[in-house]
Amino acid sequence: MAVDRREAAIPVAAPPATTEHAAGAAIRQSSLWQDAWRRFLQNKGAVVAAIVFILMCLYCLLIPGFWKIPGIWTSLKDYDPNAVDFSQSYAGFSLDHPFSTDKFGRDLFARVAQGGQISIAIGFAATFMILVIGVVYGSISGFVGGRVDNGMMRFLDALYGLPYLPFAIITTQILSPSGSVSVWTMVVALTIASWFTAARVVRGQVITLKENDYVRAAKAVGARWYRVLARHLLPNTLGILVIAIFLELPGVVLGEAFLSFIGLGINPPTASWGSIAQDGREAYRLHPEVLFIPCLAIATLVLCANFIADGLRDALDPRTRET
Amino acid sequence: MSSETASSNGTLLKVDNLEKHFPIRRGILWEKTVGAVKAVDGVSFAVAEGETLGLVGESGSGKSTTGYCILQLVKPTSGSINFMGKELTELGREDLRRMRREMQIVFQDPYASLDPRMTVGGIVAEPLEVHGIGTRRSRGEQVRKLLDIVGFNPNFTNRYPHEFSGGQRQRIGVARALALNPKLIVCDEPVSALDVSIQAQILNLLKDLQRDFGLTYLFISHDLAVVRTMSDRIAVMNQGKLVEVGTAEQVYHEPKDEYTKALFAAVPVPDPHRQRERKAERARLRAESRAESGDGAVTA
Repeated sequence: MAVDRREAAIPVAAPPATTEHAAGAAIRQSSLWQDAWRRFLQNKGAVVAAIVFILMCLYCLLIPGFWKIPGIWTSLKDYDPNAVDFSQSYAGFSLDHPFSTDKFGRDLFARVAQGGQISIAIGFAATFMILVIGVVYGSISGFVGGRVDNGMMRFLDALYGLPYLPFAIITTQILSPSGSVSVWTMVVALTIASWFTAARVVRGQVITLKENDYVRAAKAVGARWYRVLARHLLPNTLGILVIAIFLELPGVVLGEAFLSFIGLGINPPTASWGSIAQDGREAYRLHPEVLFIPCLAIATLVLCANFIADGLRDALDPRTRET
Repeated sequence: MSSETASSNGTLLKVDNLEKHFPIRRGILWEKTVGAVKAVDGVSFAVAEGETLGLVGESGSGKSTTGYCILQLVKPTSGSINFMGKELTELGREDLRRMRREMQIVFQDPYASLDPRMTVGGIVAEPLEVHGIGTRRSRGEQVRKLLDIVGFNPNFTNRYPHEFSGGQRQRIGVARALALNPKLIVCDEPVSALDVSIQAQILNLLKDLQRDFGLTYLFISHDLAVVRTMSDRIAVMNQGKLVEVGTAEQVYHEPKDEYTKALFAAVPVPDPHRQRERKAERARLRAESRAESGDGAVTA
């Protein structure tokens, strides 16, 4: 007992030595990120969108196959997205099939979830690749400047002239001559068809920042170019990149859905939202839900991403911050 | 008009016939140089160790570009810049990096000159890091010392610049410039973005630092009153050219050049009667200089 008390007393005795430190620590400090996070939380629409977005991702991740709620869904059939059961063809809404079934009697609750995995995975993977290429291309172009910049941007202008979807379609065909389009083929095709905007945004940002006094100050101090790039230019581009993720995502998801819808995307039986919608198109007059549900999923995701992008821009853009 | 050295013994910086022309380019694929803006057009002056040379002129007269050229932040088109006996325009990259320890800059806008993603401590420590001075811990101590010197609470090292007022931020900028213990500091309009009451504080700080550390200032400003209080000598720039150099009192009270006269006549005085007289005088000066230069060739 006594020993315990003395041990407990030690930390109490310690503070006098660190009062100065404690006084320093008591001061509120907030980085721009913390400020931005607080501002983001104040934006109701963006927060709701973010929550819906996260719920959708969880649904897509958790439903297919390996998660059943004990006591409710254990009694139901396995939610195997590819289990065919012709007796259940277009079964309509029921507890067994909350989202109905398609013409092969495959459960749409599981199928939309699995299709969502593919769609969202392609969306994020392609967005990530777009940003990586965009950052590398854009920062080289903006940082080096002069002739190099001019040449790189004219090349980009030429690529801009190519129409987005035909470009993506041709790329998928070139990448998979056998006609079996894999997830990675889609990612690569969508990336190649749509990385230009990200590159331009990064270039613009780097050029603006390059003329900033704090970059000049770093140079005056003798910082080498890679330090200027890594410590000053890129960290200040990060905010814009975070916004760009959610701005690029809808375009990529829609592009993927479109390609799958016209039958040039992922091969069946693997589902994506586009291909599920395509399956539903055949019978949409009698069973509109089979078309409607995957479309609703796409629309919700795209809308949420846009709302999040808006909220992030308001939170991260220093100009709106001043007001 | 140009040249002349105040105290040829202990000249720290000697600028000779400095020119900076910015090319005007046209064309989309193949750029052609169709002309040049002569931002700095044959400027020569010398700054003695420990003195303050004020550089005044209206906006666009090339004051800041001159400052940037001296620090090699902008490559001069031609001319020589001799600093501490070394010709800066001919130095290799690494030699120049070493020379940067001796010359620093304080910027005009304390909101743009501090990286918003870095803490105050990080900003002031950057010069030390770049030159590999000290260990992590000793740098931290050095930063606190520097902040204390410039009158900034050293407990705030891990806060961010946007949390402070303009005057406080400018102190951070001064601390950064001071970190490498330089000989020369180019003050590029260091107070023109600040409130008048704060201006005085920063000017006093700069004066104290000059006394304590034997600093040499090239003090760029368009504010004649500020330049007068700060400078030992004043150089007046107009359209990229140096029109007059002299001691502060001499330039202020008996300006020789017509442009300098016009410039000083443009300073408003807080007396409406006197101000009206000056306005008339200014009109007369303008008419005179127009008559002198043929038919008012250069404006804008």
